[in-house]
Amino acid sequence: MAAANVRVESVTKRFAGHTAVNQLSMEVASGGIYGLLGPNGAGKSTTIRLIMGILEPDQGKVLLFGSDHGSRKLSQRIGYLPEERGLYKKMKVLDHLIFLGETKGISRADARRRAHDWLERLGLGAWALKKVEDLSKGMQQKVQFAGALLHEPELVILDEPFSGLDPVNAQVMKDIVVAIAAEGRTVLFSTHVMEQAERMCDHVTIIARGETVVSGPLAQVKADFGGRHVALAFSHDRPRAEAILTDRALVAHLDDYGASAELQMAAGADPGQLLAALVREGVGLRRFEVVEPSLHAIFIAKVGADAAVAPARAGAAA
Amino acid sequence: MKKIIAVVRREFVERVRTRAFVISTVMLPVFIVLMAVLPGLMMRGTDHTSRVAVVDASGIGLGQPVSAAMLAEKLGDRPDAPPRYSVQVFPASAAQLAAVRDGLIARTALAKDRRAHGWDGVMVLGADTLASGRLAYYGGNVGAVQSMSQLQRTVSNALATVRLGKSGVDAALVKKAMAAAEMDTTKVSDGKLTGQSGQDSFLIAYFMGFVLYISILLYGQQTMTSVIEEKTSRIMEVLTSSLTPFQMLLGKVLGVGLAGLAQMAIWVGSVFVVSSKGAEIGAMFGMGADALRQSPIPSVPAGLLLVFLLYFALGFLLYGALYAAIGAMCNTVQETQQYAIFVTVFILVGFFAVFSLIKDPTGGLGVAMSYIPFFAPFTMPVRWSMSSVPPLQLALSLGLMVVALLACVWLAARIYRTGILMYGKKPSWGELWRWIRA
Repeated sequence: MAAANVRVESVTKRFAGHTAVNQLSMEVASGGIYGLLGPNGAGKSTTIRLIMGILEPDQGKVLLFGSDHGSRKLSQRIGYLPEERGLYKKMKVLDHLIFLGETKGISRADARRRAHDWLERLGLGAWALKKVEDLSKGMQQKVQFAGALLHEPELVILDEPFSGLDPVNAQVMKDIVVAIAAEGRTVLFSTHVMEQAERMCDHVTIIARGETVVSGPLAQVKADFGGRHVALAFSHDRPRAEAILTDRALVAHLDDYGASAELQMAAGADPGQLLAALVREGVGLRRFEVVEPSLHAIFIAKVGADAAVAPARAGAAA
Repeated sequence: MKKIIAVVRREFVERVRTRAFVISTVMLPVFIVLMAVLPGLMMRGTDHTSRVAVVDASGIGLGQPVSAAMLAEKLGDRPDAPPRYSVQVFPASAAQLAAVRDGLIARTALAKDRRAHGWDGVMVLGADTLASGRLAYYGGNVGAVQSMSQLQRTVSNALATVRLGKSGVDAALVKKAMAAAEMDTTKVSDGKLTGQSGQDSFLIAYFMGFVLYISILLYGQQTMTSVIEEKTSRIMEVLTSSLTPFQMLLGKVLGVGLAGLAQMAIWVGSVFVVSSKGAEIGAMFGMGADALRQSPIPSVPAGLLLVFLLYFALGFLLYGALYAAIGAMCNTVQETQQYAIFVTVFILVGFFAVFSLIKDPTGGLGVAMSYIPFFAPFTMPVRWSMSSVPPLQLALSLGLMVVALLACVWLAARIYRTGILMYGKKPSWGELWRWIRA
């Protein structure tokens, strides 16, 4: 079996005063989309910087393609989009992409051709000769995204690739990420938006406070979590459901979104009972579905609502 | 290597494209032409015949020989040159002196409009002038040092002639005896004449030291600022994943250095043009061909230019590496100042050493400083231009510079490697030492 693309072995990184990453292990196999999830401040970016060799771990080690020589030696095989976007503001967009390509070791002519292709693909063809600083933030992000992918790396590491993008651009980026995975390449990306990861990832690692909460193939994570989960959506008379949803004999845990809710059935309780109770009270339902637990639900159950405050808020914003 | 070239190209192209670069590149040649023309205009004093009223209150007719001597002076060397002064003598008794003098002084204002009876200056010869050599001159142009010393020289000669004549010395003999000495100075290098005058060497040395001083400060700071900019724009994070600190540093220093060299080439080129086409440029400003010949821009011999460029490049890289390292240590331009001051001190010591070297280019200080890589870029071109430097010394000095440069780039890269990602935190000296050893 080929070596894992990324292998993090019980890595610890401390900064003055706090431990950003604590005994973290994860493995990204070849191919597919791998999500690194967690609330803000969980240590996602630190983990990615450790993987990229931008930070040195205090303990443990990072292997890329089975080698511990660091990302720079393998930079031709790896594309990286940092969380903090940075481009030379005064450079022309096309020149900038060519330069980024060259630093990855592809020839100037090649880089120019690919840069043109990417700009067209991202709808930035008309901006090729504009200065970076003349572009909107979202456009700059797309340019940097293209820069990370220009050399067609086998492994693409994206730190919060969708943050700050409008839905249309987020969709464009998502399609590209999916296309990369479809070509058999590997994508590792971090996000604090659980729903997004849930739709895209084959594998996930959820971290909180620098430690792994759960990790594995998405289906596995959900199956292991177990329990029966119900997704609800209300059409009218929502207040009448209140008593039922807070009944601990029926509902073990409730994640309330107002017009919709996701809940975990109490042990021994049956979704049928719940449905009957809701109908009896005259609650108008648009949706009643027995579902797999959402990553969000798993996360809250594992970490507790305190740690979930950040993602819930961010999720609502996203 | 290809990656370094990519970095070099980026740094160079981006720098050369900026408006500041283009403007400064064009402005300096303009400035040089002005430098060449203006001192010529100012130093040669007046270019028209000065009308001088001589008030003769000496009582012995001193006005006559003095005015004769002044009338003999011409503007320029040619026989048909216009006279330097037109003189009118106003004899006056000691009692009338003040009234006559003040009347004439009142009319100096008219000289500006070139009106008749307007005087550029009023010279007063008193009763004791011959004995004491003291006389007074009133004029609007007393600040023109060269004009004044020339006038003083002329009057001194006239007075000396009169005194000698009174002592019974023959007038023709006096004239012979008073002939001025003229000295041509020529530099000798390796036992051969170089065709340069001593004054030329001084000016070349000064000019080169100055150019190096300015450009290291200017471009060194740019290197530093651009490192900081990369840190603040976080582009560094992308670059560190594909480039080594050494590649980034060397590429940056070389790229900025090349931009500096390109600018220097244009500047030095324009100096060449001004010095070789001086007469034509002088003509454009309505000056005689000989006016620019006295201008402070001498021609630069090829050997000196080569030495200068060699030291410029090495010195630039050395200081550039230091500045880049400082940039890597700091997070804001303000923060860099406390470290940059050390580098600035080096540069200043190097630059000001040039002045003492000009006095004694072959002395021990000069030799010692040529072996110290931080000072050699300043001192060596000066020594080369003013004296002949043994080839062994030159080779040793250059060798030491290359070694120091590599050591410096290596050291800077060590700091760069760690410092580049240290956001928001300034290292202590102890930490700095750990980064270097890490």
